[in-house]
Amino acid sequence: MRYAWLGCVLFSSLLCAGPLESDFNVNTRYRVESVIVSGDGWKTNVSTDHNGKISTGLRRDLMALIGENLNPDALDGLAERLKKELNAREVSHHVSRGANPNYLRVEFDVKPNTFSLHANVTKFTYDSKSGWSGGGEAGFGVRQNDFTLGVVSNSDDLPERFAGVTARYENRHLGTSRLGLRFQVESYHEQWNGSTLNELAKGSEVTSDAYRSRQNFEPVATIVLARPLTLEVGTSFERFEDQYPAAHTEASNAFIASLRYHRHLEGSENQQDVEAGYYLRAAARLLASDFVFASHSWTFRYQLTHGKHVLTDDVSAGVITGRAPLSDRFVLGNSSSLRGWNKYDLDPLGGNRMVYNSVEYRYGILKVFYDSGAIWDSGQSVIPRHSVGVGLRESVFTIAVAFPIREGRADPIFMMGMIY
Amino acid sequence: MAQSARGALISRRSWLLACLVAPLSRLRAATSLEVTFDGDNLHVAAPQLHFLAGKPLERLRGGGSAVFLSQITLLSDERGTIFRRVSDSFGVSYDLWEETFSVTELSGNNPRSASRLTAASAEAWCLENMAISASGLPADRPFWLRFDLRTADPKDVAPQGNEPGISITRLIEILSRKPAPDNPHWTLQAGPLRLSDLARESGRGTRNG
Repeated sequence: MRYAWLGCVLFSSLLCAGPLESDFNVNTRYRVESVIVSGDGWKTNVSTDHNGKISTGLRRDLMALIGENLNPDALDGLAERLKKELNAREVSHHVSRGANPNYLRVEFDVKPNTFSLHANVTKFTYDSKSGWSGGGEAGFGVRQNDFTLGVVSNSDDLPERFAGVTARYENRHLGTSRLGLRFQVESYHEQWNGSTLNELAKGSEVTSDAYRSRQNFEPVATIVLARPLTLEVGTSFERFEDQYPAAHTEASNAFIASLRYHRHLEGSENQQDVEAGYYLRAAARLLASDFVFASHSWTFRYQLTHGKHVLTDDVSAGVITGRAPLSDRFVLGNSSSLRGWNKYDLDPLGGNRMVYNSVEYRYGILKVFYDSGAIWDSGQSVIPRHSVGVGLRESVFTIAVAFPIREGRADPIFMMGMIY
Repeated sequence: MAQSARGALISRRSWLLACLVAPLSRLRAATSLEVTFDGDNLHVAAPQLHFLAGKPLERLRGGGSAVFLSQITLLSDERGTIFRRVSDSFGVSYDLWEETFSVTELSGNNPRSASRLTAASAEAWCLENMAISASGLPADRPFWLRFDLRTADPKDVAPQGNEPGISITRLIEILSRKPAPDNPHWTLQAGPLRLSDLARESGRGTRNG
């Protein structure tokens, strides 16, 4: 019987030379009005929403269906790409009548994997002043729940080098796709630069002493207020184990909140990304905190893409009132801000005031950038600094050399790694 | 005690037989195969066979299409000795705005098609376009006719890459798959028949099957 069917299918296939579904599906005479992708608790119209789940390339190909005659064969290919990109168990598609006569609505239905594994490199940079920084995490997901463990050794982002482990539980769908919950635990050991220790030895009153370890527990709720606007609120319970003058611990317990906005706009030739964020960290006696401070920071990023041309402007600013521990102070002069400057030359303890701007232009993999900014403590004079650099960038991989603009000898900083 | 055990055995057998016979009798009762002869070809009809239903219909109403592979086999005896066989395939789609069916014959040099059909008329059209040549079959010799119909995924019969047709590898892959329980497959059989006993209809086109 099997051979009979084999003969049947072979005969059919030889005669018809493998028909495409588009050849006989009568709906190919209608045009596509809209394309919807929906998953477990989420839905996006590819032409109007940008929820970040679907890559720009795939979104562009999905949008290309709109206005064209229905192509059933293309739908299968796009469903397969969605399945791979979203790591889904299955992606099916169906077509229904559109709102306008003779137009159709295409809907992709994403069925998520109930179990998934994930692994990411969270940090991988090298610069000739601070050395290597690296981090990675791996975990698994069960439906909407992610469990992640990570390791990190980072000398780039803070005045200290911190090395340790992280553990995170995240629920991205707490009854609704608009509400998520995250618990994160971090435990680090610190190493200090000599210039930081020297500055602390002078008896700084603006920040903490050097500590040898710190642990943090951070429960945070994520609320999607409106689709591009996300609010995070939570608390951070951080404990510092100081070594001098005697072994003791200090707590920095704070309310944390952030408001983020991200909008992606696609025109026929240009793509624009607008991101803005406000971050607040307020430590108070109410939470039994030894440190009392409020840290406000603002970020803004605009990116314009036109073919191979990419122009990016990053602006950030921050103010800390009160006495914040070293790990909460602002830093400039690393692989992502005021590149070319050494953060320990600018301010070995970090600062409680910061303003920064970076303009970067890329053509293909080539990039040039101009950074400017200032970091200081309240009451000090503000000294603006500038730097320029050139490099190569492909996806998140970058290699660059940056020059601080100052009188005297040029002392460039070489950097490479993965910049997100 | 022994009687009770025997009673239980009979009961189990009865249930087993009932389970085996029930679907068959349902199929037989639901679908009968009518065979007509136009002087050259044998034609089949099964007015009670509704294959545009269930999963294929769901796919059609979702804007997709359904491909049906059909096969008529002439058997020279009850043991299943094959005398002649012909196969065909049809692509069916459902117009979402007109709410009518469209059928295209996927094989042949001049494939035929019909549109704006109801479900029943689309089913009838598929069977009407199936025929098998009766040449060489003596008028008074008994024979059996079997009609098979199964669904195929349009992707399975679509060309792969630059290949003009379906590759052998692909075919083996398709046929090696265990049919899904909800993947419809119909087999109807009629016989013993004799050409001399069959009602003659006017010619509906020649077939060289």
